[in-house]
Amino acid sequence: MHNKGTGNIDMSDIAISADRLTKRFGHFTAVDEISFEIPYGSIFGFLGANGAGKSTTIRMLCGILAPTSGNGKVGGFDVQTQPEQIKTVIGYVSQRFSLYSDLNVAENLTFYGQIYGLEGAALSNRIKEVLTLTGLDRFRQRLSGDLSGGMKQKLAIANAILHKPKIMFLDEPTAGLDPLARRAIWELLYQLAESGTSLFVTTHYMEEAERCNTIAFISAGKILKIGQPAALRQQLSGQILEVACHPLMKASRIFLTLEGVRGVTAYGTTLNLNVTDEKAVEERVIAIAAKEGVTISSIKPIAASLEDVFSDLDSEVKKDA
Amino acid sequence: MRSIWAIAYKEIIQILRDRRTLALLIIMPMMQLMIYGYGINTDVKHLPTYVYDQDRSYLSRRLVNSFTQSDYFTVKVQATSLAEIYAALDKGLAQSALVIPPDFTANLLKKKRAQVQLLIDGTDSTPANVALNSSQAIVNAFMQNEGFIPILVAPIDFRPRLWYNPDLKSTYFMLPGLIGLVLQFIIPMITASAIVREKERGNIEQLLVTPIKPYELILGKIIPYVFIGIFIATSIITTMHLLFVVPIHGSVITLFFFTLVFLIVCLGIGLWASTVADNQQQASQIVMFFAMPSILLSGFIFPIAAMPVWVSVISYFIPMTYFLKIVRGIILKGLGFSDLIGQVWPLFLMAVLVIVFSIRRFSKRMA
Repeated sequence: MHNKGTGNIDMSDIAISADRLTKRFGHFTAVDEISFEIPYGSIFGFLGANGAGKSTTIRMLCGILAPTSGNGKVGGFDVQTQPEQIKTVIGYVSQRFSLYSDLNVAENLTFYGQIYGLEGAALSNRIKEVLTLTGLDRFRQRLSGDLSGGMKQKLAIANAILHKPKIMFLDEPTAGLDPLARRAIWELLYQLAESGTSLFVTTHYMEEAERCNTIAFISAGKILKIGQPAALRQQLSGQILEVACHPLMKASRIFLTLEGVRGVTAYGTTLNLNVTDEKAVEERVIAIAAKEGVTISSIKPIAASLEDVFSDLDSEVKKDA
Repeated sequence: MRSIWAIAYKEIIQILRDRRTLALLIIMPMMQLMIYGYGINTDVKHLPTYVYDQDRSYLSRRLVNSFTQSDYFTVKVQATSLAEIYAALDKGLAQSALVIPPDFTANLLKKKRAQVQLLIDGTDSTPANVALNSSQAIVNAFMQNEGFIPILVAPIDFRPRLWYNPDLKSTYFMLPGLIGLVLQFIIPMITASAIVREKERGNIEQLLVTPIKPYELILGKIIPYVFIGIFIATSIITTMHLLFVVPIHGSVITLFFFTLVFLIVCLGIGLWASTVADNQQQASQIVMFFAMPSILLSGFIFPIAAMPVWVSVISYFIPMTYFLKIVRGIILKGLGFSDLIGQVWPLFLMAVLVIVFSIRRFSKRMA
């Protein structure tokens, strides 16, 4: 499960670890015995639907929610017994912009810098550094509420790295941003990882998950799969058959009923069929398409994407339920 | 320590940028002063009065004159029928009506019982009481002046004298209490919404993952509002003294000291409300819920002595009750610390209880 990382820090150093970490709220188990290890300098992608237990996990690891059982270590501090020490070594970017929108960029950074014990020249130098890193120099005096969505997130990141944390938690840092802004945020995250910071990132975007060193799928509080994106794609049970056809949704309904088709996902003008035996299914697809009046312009096997992995996992979970 | 300062400084920037709150802080105390100073006047004088004088004699005119000269009654209309009087009372044109029968002078001169009727609109008990009591005195004086009853040399030399507020000006009574009223209204409201706002806007989420301690957060948030409270109190006291010429007989320092103690109670109430409420609207509703009894049951307007026992028991649990006695004692009576000890310790106790309780509750909610 250790991945090769990007930085030049000793990769045997574990930044974040969870060992059968569990949180129950009454009879409801929000997080169910999850375990993983994240080395310094790597990006850990935490994937799952809303309510799967992502935020609860982050809250436990940040030291603001006591686990019901199990262990966790963040930056060498125990989540059960040393939550206050954890807070000094982590940076946190929340899902929702949670800086003060009625303070300007510089005032927000000054405030949080002071909270982290920075002062005087050290504080103003550090603010200059993070503003340069995030490209927000020009907006020092702008009210944070008036920043665009992407800039707000950059400010949140600038804010979270003021005290040079080696571990960062980012809860859907790119939610609701346009593609360019998302790319800019990820470039920033790569820079941080390169300098040896460990990043724990939750996301809904599959192409972002591909950018992580390690990803974990969580559903109903349990980790279903964990590993490097490439490895996970290979592990996908079955193969992917890409069918360009028309009309798309009708074809999707028909193909789903075929034997050997585990799932169908639509992509614009093509369908991705998750199949057990691509040769046999291809014949069946062509046959039923001719019968039902679906025109197929091309049909070929392709490499699985993470989204295919994710929807396959999802259908398995639903089958179990 | 540095974190507390950082939060206080940030809070001050936010307050200065929030025009609406700022306007409220400045306008509301002054508005209350104007309302209570000019508008609300519980000194009952010049009650509009209709007179139906059927006697039309020298003596009946003298009697009407006695009423007019008392300042309590002002004759609006010389009525010509009972129906006119009843209608005037019904419509509220008159608050009292004097009816003198045709045989008034005749009966007086024959040393028979002469009758005079005063009808009073009793819907509002305050002016009605004044009319009732003063009319007795007016009629007695009239009888003595006209020689119908002898001026007695009383065995008791009874000399009532009004202390502290000899002219019975209601501004003297109301305005010092206004310090308490305005603080009780504004301070819990702005404190609670300042804290709840951080919850509402998600700011607290970011603060939670910082090494800041709950007590640092609370103190930092409260400190600016202490100064605002002192500013409000100062502006009320100054305006009251300069514009409404209410004399301050006691020590201004003692006055400010107790204002500070009361301020802490108000901050505590706001802090507590912030732990109960999820948004600013709820917070202000909770604060209002506590402010109402503070106005009505603390003796701010209605004397506690006049309340039924079970209601007056409630007043002992209202911080305003004690603070009012303290401010009125200092301003009107010139009392000092030792004279007020009976009011001082409950107020102190409440300040300590409220603040300790709400800080603990706040810390628990935050953790």
